[in-house]
Amino acid sequence: MKCLRWTGIVLYLCIGALPLAWLVLTSIKHHPDVISPTAKFVPAPGHEQGDRTVLFSPTLEGYGRLASAGRRESHSFFHYLVNSVIIGVLSTLCAVTLGTMCAYGFSRFRVAGAQDWLFFILSTRFLPPLAVVVPILLMYRTFGLQNSHVGLVLLYTSFNLSLAVWLMKGFIDDIPKAYEEAALVDGYSRWQAFYRIIVPEAATGIAVTAVFCLISALNEYGFAVTLNSQGATTVPVYFAALQGSIKGIPWPQLAAGTLLFVTPIVVFTVLVRKHLLRGVTFGTIKQ
Amino acid sequence: MRSANLLKYGFVVPAIVLLIAMNIFPLIYTIVLSFTDATLTSSENAWVGVRNYGRVFSGGDYGTALRTTGVFVVLAVGIELLLGFAMAMAMKSDFRGKTPIMTILLVPMMLSPAVMGLYWTIILNGHYGVLNQMLAFVGMSDPPQWLTEHKLASILLIDVWMWTPFMMLIALAGLNSIPRYIYEAAEIDRASRWRVFSRITLPMCAPLLVLAVLLRTTDALKQFDLVMALTGPNDVATQTLSACLFQRMIREQELGLGAAYALVVLVMVIALATVFTRYIGWIQKKQGRTNP
Repeated sequence: MKCLRWTGIVLYLCIGALPLAWLVLTSIKHHPDVISPTAKFVPAPGHEQGDRTVLFSPTLEGYGRLASAGRRESHSFFHYLVNSVIIGVLSTLCAVTLGTMCAYGFSRFRVAGAQDWLFFILSTRFLPPLAVVVPILLMYRTFGLQNSHVGLVLLYTSFNLSLAVWLMKGFIDDIPKAYEEAALVDGYSRWQAFYRIIVPEAATGIAVTAVFCLISALNEYGFAVTLNSQGATTVPVYFAALQGSIKGIPWPQLAAGTLLFVTPIVVFTVLVRKHLLRGVTFGTIKQ
Repeated sequence: MRSANLLKYGFVVPAIVLLIAMNIFPLIYTIVLSFTDATLTSSENAWVGVRNYGRVFSGGDYGTALRTTGVFVVLAVGIELLLGFAMAMAMKSDFRGKTPIMTILLVPMMLSPAVMGLYWTIILNGHYGVLNQMLAFVGMSDPPQWLTEHKLASILLIDVWMWTPFMMLIALAGLNSIPRYIYEAAEIDRASRWRVFSRITLPMCAPLLVLAVLLRTTDALKQFDLVMALTGPNDVATQTLSACLFQRMIREQELGLGAAYALVVLVMVIALATVFTRYIGWIQKKQGRTNP
């Protein structure tokens, strides 16, 4: 039984981690080594390219070429990366701010129909993006928001708001009411009590919420591809558009770009791993 | 008193207004559009009654897309649940190196499906893909051509890779919430392993497993990113409902027809989401009772 258990863990770990390791290896290869029919997984500096051994000579060429634009595009990878970062960070700031305020309101005041409102907020998360994307497209066209950063920031803010409200409500519920009551007695206004007492007390929760909002904003694809053909194209849209031109894809460059895009997300994941369960279940499971 | 009232709405209202503007308003607009012949370029739209809905249900591609989505959801969620639960059983007790192993396992689900869809083509490729080379190495003489013949299986494979850890994480929380004394009591009663599993472990884990399945099902029903990155939206073998919707609405620019498609999909998602939100409410209440 014990033996079986360990075989399972090791086997799954190998299979699960292999694609990640392969990504790193691909990013330091020359192009012919990536599409070699013999899998090359042993880096050997100075090795000749394109033969039938498992050795390959590592190179940083893939990373270097990221800065230059491709054959048919006018922008380099970094252009799309900057778009992604701007949209991700701004929408996260907005979602966390609005979400924390809303969660505080529901946590500390008696709002008529609070449960119904909360479930309405939760249900917006399950709406398929494509069901609402056309009216939004028409709306954005009227206001000139199509192909703009502002348009996507607005969308991602509303998309992440349900998660932000539900997570933050859990975190704020955990803060004893006595803290702010003491502050109110001392002559603080509600707003002052909110940002001088609650916000610092809920700092961990805010950070966790921000990481989850940022990750889903960076990874989002459905809205980004329908609303942005140019102007504010994000990294996922840029990558997915390369599909179909398989022959012409510069794989090492692509792997390097993917790695640059993915590394911060992995770091964030590691940072919030203690709260991961809470994050992925909308705060239902507190651990 | 009045100012206190205004204040509390000051906290709550901005978020709700934004959600209504970005969700409810467009939804109503979609309903209106579904009864017109609107296209992306037309300025004057005519009412066409329920003709779009007639086209949705008479056209063959809707049935195919529905079946593709159904097969995908059942297989993906099923495999992820079984594999995730088995992994959770294996990872239940503490051992050295548990934290780093867990962390590595959890990384895939935080990555962008659209980016991973493209990247996996290097692994799945029939000529130089590392997966088939490994299969050949362990003795499979004729490994499957993933990207040309088994496209839906490729998408399933990537989805399982990304989301099994999610099931494991939730199942693990369920397993850890079972109090030790119950197992000790079972040991005193000399209950068999299978009996302990089927009478204690599984039933006590079940509420959280249902939560995980609901969460994954609503997500898998919307499967779009992997399809787009791996095959594009108009491949019969992998055209899920969302991809079909994208093809009609954005590529072929038939907004009216697309809107009708969207609403049919929406009815299913809303039904599921209702079950889901009720369930979350129930679990939260239960949790509140057990740990006050």
